[in-house]
Amino acid sequence: MNTRVAAIAVLVAFLAGMVFATFSELRVFLPALLRGALITIEVAALSFLLMTASAFTAGVARLSPWWSVRWIATAYVEVFRGTSLLVQLFWFFFVLPEFGLTLSPMAAGVLGVGFNFGAYGAEIVRGAITAVPRGQWEAAAALNLPVFRRMTRIVLPQALVVVIPPFGNLTIEMVKATSVVSAVTLVDITYASVQQNQLHYRTVEIFVVTLFLYYCFSQLIRFSMGLLEERSKRHLAATR
Amino acid sequence: MTEPRIKFENVCKRYGPLTVLDGLNMEVAAGELVTIIGPSGSGKTTVLRVLMTLETIEEGLITIDGEPFNKMRSREGGLVPASTAHLRRIRARIGMVFQNFNLFPHMTALGNCIEAPIHSLGLSKAEAVGRAEELLDMVGLSDKRDHYPSQLSGGQQQRVAIARALAMRPEILLFDEPTSALDPEMVDEVLQVIRQLATEHSYTMLLVTHQMGFAREVSGRVCFFDGGKFLEEGPPREFFASPRHERTRQFLNKVLAAH
Repeated sequence: MNTRVAAIAVLVAFLAGMVFATFSELRVFLPALLRGALITIEVAALSFLLMTASAFTAGVARLSPWWSVRWIATAYVEVFRGTSLLVQLFWFFFVLPEFGLTLSPMAAGVLGVGFNFGAYGAEIVRGAITAVPRGQWEAAAALNLPVFRRMTRIVLPQALVVVIPPFGNLTIEMVKATSVVSAVTLVDITYASVQQNQLHYRTVEIFVVTLFLYYCFSQLIRFSMGLLEERSKRHLAATR
Repeated sequence: MTEPRIKFENVCKRYGPLTVLDGLNMEVAAGELVTIIGPSGSGKTTVLRVLMTLETIEEGLITIDGEPFNKMRSREGGLVPASTAHLRRIRARIGMVFQNFNLFPHMTALGNCIEAPIHSLGLSKAEAVGRAEELLDMVGLSDKRDHYPSQLSGGQQQRVAIARALAMRPEILLFDEPTSALDPEMVDEVLQVIRQLATEHSYTMLLVTHQMGFAREVSGRVCFFDGGKFLEEGPPREFFASPRHERTRQFLNKVLAAH
């Protein structure tokens, strides 16, 4: 792990040096790109919260003993997974106002990205829960734990080990997909770089910096998910 | 006349076309230790699983101390399907030990033993820990309280599982082939704990096992289960010395020859 951190640090320093040495008009476009990066971070962070909440809610609900709850969760997953993210954003931003509900660009962006990726996350959570051995449910039932506690104390902590790696991948996908929010007028990094390119025509420099910023986000997520994974399976590995 | 602690009346359990319990009748007195033996796959484990409410039954009535368990009395006095609250109230009197231990792998030995007392009985943490430490000491594992299941041997895991079941202070204990998943050298340490429970405490115990020697030694009664019902039962000495039923004789010859 440490060698990788070191390698990334060296790469960052090297690229930063390159940028300062060769990108003469950096100070012209960089501030705008960084403002865009802040918007991307904001959308991604809020979407992550919404995605996690809806993934766990819908994932658990799809295994509910009540058919109505199962049905609602399945409908959610099918609709958001089965249609285009961009069109979903348009619905939140352009169509809902037709029905009297006007959302800010940020709200529409977060709802679209969060619910869309939450639908994929729900399938991960559902699969992980069904992968917990039946004996665990039975032991919890035999100990007379209430159904809710069986889920939160016994099954979900074990499912989490299986959830985290694919959830990390999904989060990286999600961060990269936040670039669609430019379609609802948010000036995120992608949109900011398009704007700066039109103003300054420093095409190579601008898009190298943009890619690099996305890459940094992905690495950050990979790194933190790796830590979480280590933590969650500290005691579980040997019993599986 | 006192009610039996456990009573099965005409209990039927089917999986599709397969009948596992076929009009089963059984009575177990308070404090009695009954061993259930029978061929593999005959469904003897189902008797315990039905009693633990891990399986539902299609027909019949199970009562605990005369009180309906799988059903409950309605206000008019008739029997209706039991509510979740009713099941939880009666189930609190039963504890179960599984063939594969089923310890919670993300909790220490102590954590396993205090989880249900805290979250099901509502004990304070200090109370639950005190109770769990006593029980871990009883099964000879007080030095392993902070070990996770993955750090324990099979025999140790099963002893923790017994302590975990006892921590709920049940009156009835169900043992589902508690030594079948163990390496031979670990069987004795688990049997020793069960022996101690049988002789020093007043639990009502149902034991499904293939350990014939142990069954003969500790049980008050041995039941031979095959084809969805009990074919034959009796005190262990008579049961093993002179089985009446042909099927029982065949089964005993087979398992005893294997030893």
